[in-house]
Amino acid sequence: MIISKRFLIIWWENKMNEKIKKGLPSFLKSTKDVFSFFFFLGKKARKTKVFYLVSFFPVIMVLVIKFVQIFSGLPHVQGIFIFSNHIMVLYLQFLILILALFFGTSVCSEEVEGKTLTYLTTRPVSKSAIILGKYAAYTLLIVLMTGIGLILTFLILNVNNLLDFSLYKILFKYTIVLILGLICYTSFFTFIGTFLKKSILFGLVFSFGWENVIQYFPGSTQRFAIVHYLKSLLPFPSGGRFSFLLFRLEPTSPGVAVVMLFLITGVFLGLACLFFSQKEYILED
Amino acid sequence: MILIIETQNLSKWYGNVLGLNDVTIQIESGITGILGPNGAGKSTFLKLITGQIKPNIGKVKIKGEKIRNNYSLFSIIGFCPEQDSFYEEMTGWEFITSLLKLHHFSSTEIKARAQDALEIVELINDKDRVIKSYSRGMRQRLKFAQAIAHEPEIIILDEPLNGMDPLGRRKIIKLIKSYEREGRTIIVSSHVLPEIEAMTKRIILIHQGKIFAQGNIHYIRDLIDTHPHIISIKCSNPRELASKFIHEEYVLKVHFSSTRDSLLIETNNRDKFFSLLPSLFLESNIEVKEITSPDDNLQAVFDYLVGK
Amino acid sequence: MTIKEKGYTHWDGELKEGKFPWRPITRWGIKLTFKKKFFKLLFFTSLVPALVYLAGIYISERLEDFRFMIKGPTEFIQTNPAYFKSYFTNDFLLFMMVMILVFCGAGLISDDLKYNSLQLYFSRPLKKKDYFFGKAFVIVFFLFIVTLIPGLVLFFMKLIFSGSFKFFVSYPWLLVSIIGYSFLVTGFFSFYALFLSSLSKNRRYVAIFIFGLYIFSDILFGIFYGIFRNQYFALLSIKSNLQQVGSFIFNQKTPYDFSWFYSFLILFFICVLAGLVLKKKVRGVEIVK
Repeated sequence: MIISKRFLIIWWENKMNEKIKKGLPSFLKSTKDVFSFFFFLGKKARKTKVFYLVSFFPVIMVLVIKFVQIFSGLPHVQGIFIFSNHIMVLYLQFLILILALFFGTSVCSEEVEGKTLTYLTTRPVSKSAIILGKYAAYTLLIVLMTGIGLILTFLILNVNNLLDFSLYKILFKYTIVLILGLICYTSFFTFIGTFLKKSILFGLVFSFGWENVIQYFPGSTQRFAIVHYLKSLLPFPSGGRFSFLLFRLEPTSPGVAVVMLFLITGVFLGLACLFFSQKEYILED
Repeated sequence: MILIIETQNLSKWYGNVLGLNDVTIQIESGITGILGPNGAGKSTFLKLITGQIKPNIGKVKIKGEKIRNNYSLFSIIGFCPEQDSFYEEMTGWEFITSLLKLHHFSSTEIKARAQDALEIVELINDKDRVIKSYSRGMRQRLKFAQAIAHEPEIIILDEPLNGMDPLGRRKIIKLIKSYEREGRTIIVSSHVLPEIEAMTKRIILIHQGKIFAQGNIHYIRDLIDTHPHIISIKCSNPRELASKFIHEEYVLKVHFSSTRDSLLIETNNRDKFFSLLPSLFLESNIEVKEITSPDDNLQAVFDYLVGK
Repeated sequence: MTIKEKGYTHWDGELKEGKFPWRPITRWGIKLTFKKKFFKLLFFTSLVPALVYLAGIYISERLEDFRFMIKGPTEFIQTNPAYFKSYFTNDFLLFMMVMILVFCGAGLISDDLKYNSLQLYFSRPLKKKDYFFGKAFVIVFFLFIVTLIPGLVLFFMKLIFSGSFKFFVSYPWLLVSIIGYSFLVTGFFSFYALFLSSLSKNRRYVAIFIFGLYIFSDILFGIFYGIFRNQYFALLSIKSNLQQVGSFIFNQKTPYDFSWFYSFLILFFICVLAGLVLKKKVRGVEIVK
């Protein structure tokens, strides 16, 4: 009996040592596993369904616009003009900010507030993989949310010119800008969520305060806003005679703007991983 | 016995609240019970040895390796946290399989292990229900299942029997004991002495952030047994009852209430006294209304042991 | 040993009810809000317009002394009902009120839903109505400090600085306007925040919706107006509706070319809807589907 117990203990010892020595899967595999965990969870969550509805609001809106244009005597405005000057503003200056703010800060905050962080940090995956995997899952979710809405909006507004293929080039460009915006903003808010408790408030002030106000400053000042690089990738509509008093975009070249957006994303994701690995999260009751 | 967990001068404070103070301890394989009243520092200790929080002073080593940010160690550790929190929108099955995925098992292995774990905790029939519809006991069992599903060598359980019914408790206790026989290391915390007593003889007593006793449960039991217990009996004839046991040497004091319907007895051998009591009632045909033990809780025992 | 059946003893005493059973809820809500980091900073920032307008009243009374500083027309600094209207309906003040809601209103009901504490409330001698009052008065407390109180202070400071009752005699209804608009805007925002707070257990989610819906409604108006140049689309904007009704209350020309009553109806409809949802959402027992 004693021998068999001893044997069992030695067997366990060897099995477990092997388990550690075997080496862990690559960082990418861990990130992928975390990604699929949260992509699955995110798809199921009620909040995602609500935000899907929110992000489809522009579609309803353009349907109303089309309806009014057809059945009322109000002035007819070209679809592409509405899309570039109104719908894209709604997406760039409101929708993607709200979505990135909520999902970005959720990467860390919802684990801490929901006290589920323990389930993740007691698994053989690095903390950086948790952040990157969850960030990737949530970013993909919101890209799908807004992307589908954006394409539908575009098609509805240009329903009369669907055979004009030059329009699709514009749609492609706008979609890319939208995706870049989501990637960049979500990384920034992921970082904010890892080290600030009141991340939502800070995020709101940043999104609707800083990102707007800084655009009114000339020269290099406006380069401190993410929206500057996004707008640099889009054709800038000419304003009125005195618009320069309010807001004058001094665009960065598209190549530099893309590099800057990726750089900002990389830096903030790196910082988020660093903070998340080092910071101690107390799960309060 | 093999040394599994080692801590050196481990201290942790939250602001100006002391969580754990200067704990140096070595834990070997087998079951170790962490016992202490609420707020003693049990959870802080378990969070520190699982790397959830950073110690302000001191070190933790598991199998000779530091734990914090050493995620590879978690392939051999299973942790059942104290807090009742879940990804509420998932079903029990999804919860277990998703977490197993983070252990990088193949999908067939994930299914098999999840099936086993849920069968062990008897949740297999409810596996497709969303967690938010689970009862307290079911949630507790699910938490236990996620800690054992990947068959870890070291299982750390923070108050695992909380909210479980007596049958569920017995089952989990039996399971924990079977893990010991397999040579695993189990650390289990509780504030209920009989619970720990049913699992192991090796205990660590924590009180006010300090470890003040460690070793065999018999030693602690002896201390507890010599702790004078106060028992209150409400009955029809307290004086007659007292006359029956007053000559017993383990009865230290008897005090009659002014209402003449109850008495307080102080004894240093509670077990012997309680075994005598039923026969006395029957012999003298005394009608009993109530028997209570005002200080029969762990806090009272701790107060006694620390000489308060 | 015989076991005796123990009968239930009925309560013979008088069941008393407190006069204001909602008071502890309000007190606790205010206390908790003040404990939040950055709230004090935000709250005092929202009082900046009041200080600026107070300085304006002072300058308007000593216009000659400040003449060297002011070039051009001085109408904008004249204290009249338009001056009060511009204080109450300015974009910054409304924005700050929404920020206050984000802080103090988001968690009011959602936290109770999250921690299952509604049943604790309703296991006490507390009616649903008392619960709502208790929660709403937390918002009322903070919003009155940035609307009603500064409004009254500005009014009385005007009388004190001018040293006569001429202003009061010229505009005897202004005091009623100040009180009326303060009640309107505070009442509306109380319904608005409680309604959104009752929709989710997640306070962060509610905070985003309180802020987002306010901004979104305004963007929506901007887009529709930009395309169709029709002022009726202002009815889509919470801010524009408040400004439209505010202008009427202060007896000023409304900013949009339609009746203030339409805006009032929109605000009233939102409040009714909020009331209905609140009644349905707030209950002692949670049903898990």
